[in-house]
Amino acid sequence: MNNIESVIICRCEEVTYGQLLSTAEKHQCTARELKLRTRAGMGFCGGRTCRVTVDRIVESAIPNISQAEIPLKYQPPIRPVSFGTVGDNIE
Amino acid sequence: MNRIINHPILGKSEDRKRISFTFNDKTYEAYENETIAAALLANGVRTLRVHEESGTPRGFYCNIGHCMECRVTVNNQVNIRACLTVVENNMIVESGKQHPNIVKRMVEQQ
Amino acid sequence: MTDVIVIGAGPAGLAGAIACAQSGLKTVVIDEFIKPGGRLLGQLHEKPSGEWWNGIKESDRLTKEAQDLSVNIRCGVSVYNLEKEANKWSVHTNKGTLSASFVLIATGAAEYPIPLPGWTLPGVMSIGAAQVMTNVHRVQVGKKGIIIGANILAFAILNELQLAGIHVERIVLPEKGPLSGKAGVPNEVLKSLTDASKLAPSSFLRLGGRLMKSDGLRKMAIKFFPKNGVKMNGTPLLLRKAAVEIIGDQQVEGVRVADIDAEGKIILGSEKIYEADFVCIAGGLYPLAELAAVAGCPFQYIPELGGHVPHHSEIMETPLDGLFVAGNITGIESGKVAMAQGTTAGYSIAKRAGKGGIIDDLLQQAVQNVRTVREQAAIQFHPEINDGRKKIYEQWEELYTKKQNEYDDVKIG
Repeated sequence: MNNIESVIICRCEEVTYGQLLSTAEKHQCTARELKLRTRAGMGFCGGRTCRVTVDRIVESAIPNISQAEIPLKYQPPIRPVSFGTVGDNIE
Repeated sequence: MNRIINHPILGKSEDRKRISFTFNDKTYEAYENETIAAALLANGVRTLRVHEESGTPRGFYCNIGHCMECRVTVNNQVNIRACLTVVENNMIVESGKQHPNIVKRMVEQQ
Repeated sequence: MTDVIVIGAGPAGLAGAIACAQSGLKTVVIDEFIKPGGRLLGQLHEKPSGEWWNGIKESDRLTKEAQDLSVNIRCGVSVYNLEKEANKWSVHTNKGTLSASFVLIATGAAEYPIPLPGWTLPGVMSIGAAQVMTNVHRVQVGKKGIIIGANILAFAILNELQLAGIHVERIVLPEKGPLSGKAGVPNEVLKSLTDASKLAPSSFLRLGGRLMKSDGLRKMAIKFFPKNGVKMNGTPLLLRKAAVEIIGDQQVEGVRVADIDAEGKIILGSEKIYEADFVCIAGGLYPLAELAAVAGCPFQYIPELGGHVPHHSEIMETPLDGLFVAGNITGIESGKVAMAQGTTAGYSIAKRAGKGGIIDDLLQQAVQNVRTVREQAAIQFHPEINDGRKKIYEQWEELYTKKQNEYDDVKIG
């Protein structure tokens, strides 16, 4: 309705539905490109909360793409990690 | 006061040792072996941090470590999830501060 | 030397670890949470027999059984990457790197969000968050709550909140729109609730399960759906009201709600504000498969299973050698199914590790047991679960088994 444009989708980077939709429509881009352009899903949680919504927006804004075709792509690290712990071995 | 002491099926909650910790310089009581998020909520504290840029208040959302909304500073270590971290005696917990992103503002103004 | 690393100490992970350890494999279980049990910990419901399913007791039982078999359970360990290095899996965690020939991913599910104005306010939480706060931490999430979203998960947790004396004022739908999908359309919600009528939340809906087979009847039912809702153990379920906005200055103060028609369209001028100090968003569950994704496992989107699931066979192997999956990562089902799948994965790993003896029989029994438990499930999150399972197993057959057979034929020939 009235204020859907201003609904925050990505809580970490405070990216709104309006920003995502207009970017997706303008660039007719992949989910990955949409994230890079808007920073949605690139914040602290790595898109854990918003990714499915962002995928849905891509699906609704770009004709002939279905959820089944949006690849499930994750980049490590999938959890926050401090530099000190990377590379340590434990037994 | 905000604890669920009696439960018809799960029974009475066990009597746990009380400890104290600080959150944003104020002292609070917690039960041993509970999470920071649970201890703060039991003390009526919902706001755990403010958004780094906009300053909007945030609390825990998922409570199981996925959403990162409850991240706080614990004994000077930043970005610790309050929902997965057990509170300890004399622990110093702080909300993150607002840090406006100057570069982003500049880019936006161009 | 560790033989098996199990990621996730929920019902699937613990059951898997037990089966591995019983087969003589040295097993470590890691989990992010402060105690083992995963999603079992919050679960509490009365079975049709009148007995209570107490998830905390179940977790304790599984944990003890695993520990008695010398399974090493480590909590507070977060995995951030999983990769194959020199024939072994490296599991990178915040406490360092573990390695083993076999990994069982049993990371369970995550909740679908339903974004709406005001949902970043403190006091707004996923419905699962409220469950954990209530049953695990025993802390009240608030004095007066509103649930947004009407589905099986929401009803199960509503019941748990009520048992703990937490006051939930009402359940409303999210506003219809691109962000809520079918969850904002009363007719669709009623359809999915009647499909799941085995676990009908009230006699009204149980009756509905029989009455509302046709679309016409369903429209009539939603038309006559009482304006004040159907009471679910005291909490009105309002299928003809939608949450438009969560309001509050520093934290939740209330929800702006509007009347809607059977298709979810807002009736102008009907908006009202209901006071609340907490709001639960119930969007349903999807398989949490990010670790399988970073490991390079291929995926398939299967709505009947709740979303993207890693390719896997009925004995829980993935196309990646040494990598197995079990529980909600393979599709959204009950904790009991997850346990049965975990046992299957455990025996499957043991077989792959070359454990002989009766392992083939055990594995076969375990696979059969998953089917039986699924048939008897009291809670069915996705009514078409069997169709979804069929799809993923047929795909496995097509992509992996046939190829393997052809390859074997060539080798033998």
